[in-house]
Amino acid sequence: MKNNLLFILLLFTSLTTSAGSILIKGADIYSTNGVLPQSNLYIDNGTITAIGRNTPLTADLEINGEGMSITAGLFNASTHIGTVEVSAISPTVDFYSENEAVTASLRIADAFNPRSTLIPHNRVHGLTHALLVPESGTNLFSGQVGLVQLGNQPKVIHDSLAMALDFTESGIRLAGNSRAAALVQLRQALDDAKDFSRNRAAAMAGDHRDYILSYADLSALESVVNGVKPLLVKTHRASDITTILALAKDFQLKLILSGVIEGWMVASEIAEAGVPVIMDPIHNLPESYESLGARLDNAKLLSDAGVTLLLTGMGGQDTHNAYLVKQSAGNAVANGLPKSVAIAAMTSNPAKVFGATVSGDIAVGEIADLVLWGGDPLEMTSEAQLVLINGEVIPMESRSFQLRDRYFKRLKKN
Amino acid sequence: MKNALSKSLALITVMTLGACGEKAETPGDINLPNKNPYPSTYQIPESPAFALIGANILTGEGTELTNTDLLIANGKIVAIGAALDIEPDTIKIDAKGKWVTPGLIDVHSHMGVYPSPSTSNHSDGNEMTSPVTAEVWAEHSVWPEDPQFEKALAGGVTTVQILPGSGNLIGGRGVTLKNIPSITVQGMKFPGAPYSLKMACGENPKRVYGSRNTLPSTRMGNMAGYREAWIQATEYKRSWDDYVTDSQAGEDVDPPSRNLRLETLAGVLEGDIRIHNHCYKADEMAQMIDMSKEFGYKIAAFHHAVEAYKAAPILAKEGICGVMWADWWGFKQEAFDMVRENIALVDYAKACAVIHSDDPIQVQRLNQEIAKAMSAGNRMGLNIDAAKAITWGTINAAKSLGLDNQIGSLAVGKNADIVLWTKHPLSIYSLAQKVWIDGNLRFDRFDKSVQPTSDFNLGIISAGEARP
Repeated sequence: MKNNLLFILLLFTSLTTSAGSILIKGADIYSTNGVLPQSNLYIDNGTITAIGRNTPLTADLEINGEGMSITAGLFNASTHIGTVEVSAISPTVDFYSENEAVTASLRIADAFNPRSTLIPHNRVHGLTHALLVPESGTNLFSGQVGLVQLGNQPKVIHDSLAMALDFTESGIRLAGNSRAAALVQLRQALDDAKDFSRNRAAAMAGDHRDYILSYADLSALESVVNGVKPLLVKTHRASDITTILALAKDFQLKLILSGVIEGWMVASEIAEAGVPVIMDPIHNLPESYESLGARLDNAKLLSDAGVTLLLTGMGGQDTHNAYLVKQSAGNAVANGLPKSVAIAAMTSNPAKVFGATVSGDIAVGEIADLVLWGGDPLEMTSEAQLVLINGEVIPMESRSFQLRDRYFKRLKKN
Repeated sequence: MKNALSKSLALITVMTLGACGEKAETPGDINLPNKNPYPSTYQIPESPAFALIGANILTGEGTELTNTDLLIANGKIVAIGAALDIEPDTIKIDAKGKWVTPGLIDVHSHMGVYPSPSTSNHSDGNEMTSPVTAEVWAEHSVWPEDPQFEKALAGGVTTVQILPGSGNLIGGRGVTLKNIPSITVQGMKFPGAPYSLKMACGENPKRVYGSRNTLPSTRMGNMAGYREAWIQATEYKRSWDDYVTDSQAGEDVDPPSRNLRLETLAGVLEGDIRIHNHCYKADEMAQMIDMSKEFGYKIAAFHHAVEAYKAAPILAKEGICGVMWADWWGFKQEAFDMVRENIALVDYAKACAVIHSDDPIQVQRLNQEIAKAMSAGNRMGLNIDAAKAITWGTINAAKSLGLDNQIGSLAVGKNADIVLWTKHPLSIYSLAQKVWIDGNLRFDRFDKSVQPTSDFNLGIISAGEARP
């Protein structure tokens, strides 16, 4: 049955990608309002027009969704998609800079390659959106976070949603290899950005004091110190999280945390500060001395404390296989995180937290960004049967599928 | 040890006989190196007989048994069948509706040699001071307190092959361990398991040594490096064979000087040590196979075999296992041609398909990795069921290690390495509930007294606290 469906879709997508109507019958629909069991979903010209029992009963493409499920498209909240092709081939790697003169001003979205082979590979398995988070090469500040949509015409939706900062041990190493020194540098940069903001004209005219960071970097930090753009701080150790929460309070910054392997130890502090976190629930090893408290139910404990979660993962596979955020989410659920929370954390939450123009939900009136899964949405055995991004059906095509088909043909002859 | 020595003497005697066709004389004072100087001290702890009642069993040999009993005594599986007649004093564990598999086997792990925390003081997996370091043994680097081991155990992994890294052409000996807590690595060593030798194709060795302007800096340099080593090993082996032959002929000859590097390579040529070859690309696999024929040794497995699907008919013909990830790709050029159907296609071509982790996170969920590989195959219509898929982490893995007569399936007479799962083992929601090794309960998710933790964790994890 599933194979027939894929075949039908192939025919369908060869005819059209967006025009026409689609009816999915009897699938479990996961929306922010809960699960609608065995319900119909109707999409007309790319927009969800009806959900439930009262959908039209015919469409250009009708799919029997019994035993299947529908979620909003997967959104991985920390990737390098489109800014790396082969990790070991450095000219293809654009997500960090070795140029000391470029820190906060680095805008990773400028490097996004919509023709990357990583995009079709990820979207055919249900990934529809991703944050591009730069990494630190020379400075605590990594650069600005972008948001991309992976549809038939992949594109940058936002080129500067947040400012990324690395306060893990690797970022701290770049800042003199001491947490204390890193904090001095960080406070100084924030003070300088404030000063620059107040004296911009004079500074640009060369009529003001010198700064350590360039004008371009200070300009990029202006909206951060003014509390408009979130500062996205990657950090793991519980005491480092506390330090960053205090610093954000001092400077009245809009803070988002990321990493937070020891987050569960200070979950109530994070929740009280109203700070969302981007995390991969899969980490449970003391991989370094800043993550000795790693545990598989970190996501559950953070969520129980009231922290809003945005997920990434799985492990080092967060870019070439960014769709495996679903596997990290499934493991979090196996370790106590409610399924609805896990799904929201990789669909609707990222859009909400960043105020981005992405639906992240299954609701009437929304342009369809969704996945029809062959079974329970989190099972590894549930393949993406149908993916719509921005109302368009995604062809089930990728470099990997082409290789598979070429060699299967040869194996069959053998 | 005496037995091992006389056994190896006997072997060499036979080989010599084969060569010269003369009747062997009783060996005199032939002085051969000890082949097992760091022997396993593992002993199966005594434990009472027990039975799992009414389980659903994926046997590891491709079959599924429902509502079946499994009887274990003295570390072995004694009986399997429906409604077994079980002695009243045998401990019975209700497994009705639960799923049981053989203990999972990870044939590519760096636990202990690249432990957590991954600090430089414990980074002992890659002796990158010379492109051929056949003289180093991974077991001499293993830190038994590595907290990764207990997490792998909680994922149902009972046997692991620990390999040196892939920076060198020939990286050193691997070792097969039972995943049990031990102060010494000798206490974990799988008694009688064959040694392995790690070799590496492709990008890593040529990058490491090329950056130092020494051979190899190219793939042809890689090949030259291996062949040079095998030529030396062939001569070294001949010098020892001659020594044995001459001694047996009554000549008063001195043994050749020992060379640790060549001793291991000669062990491969003698068939004692199994080649586990890091090799991503199909074209390089073919070169390695020709080289093995040039020098007369056998390759057990190609690891990280991202392109195994391209070479699947060759692997089937040569009897070489493809050891693969479910979906890793793109971190190097040689890992660019990944297909998620790799394992399924290798299996389809009737070659030995094996899952591996190479990773302390993935080793904890090999069942999920198997599920992904199965699902990819089924998406293209290969109709693989769970009973078949689980073989990739059980009997096929055991075959690659040369241990399929002892582990890798639930069959009468085999070691009682068993996992009882909370749900179907290929479900994302499933967790290993109980894990037995040689019939001893080594992990119980719901009993803190059977959740071993490393010395390292003391004072970091509070007493009595269990962190998943």
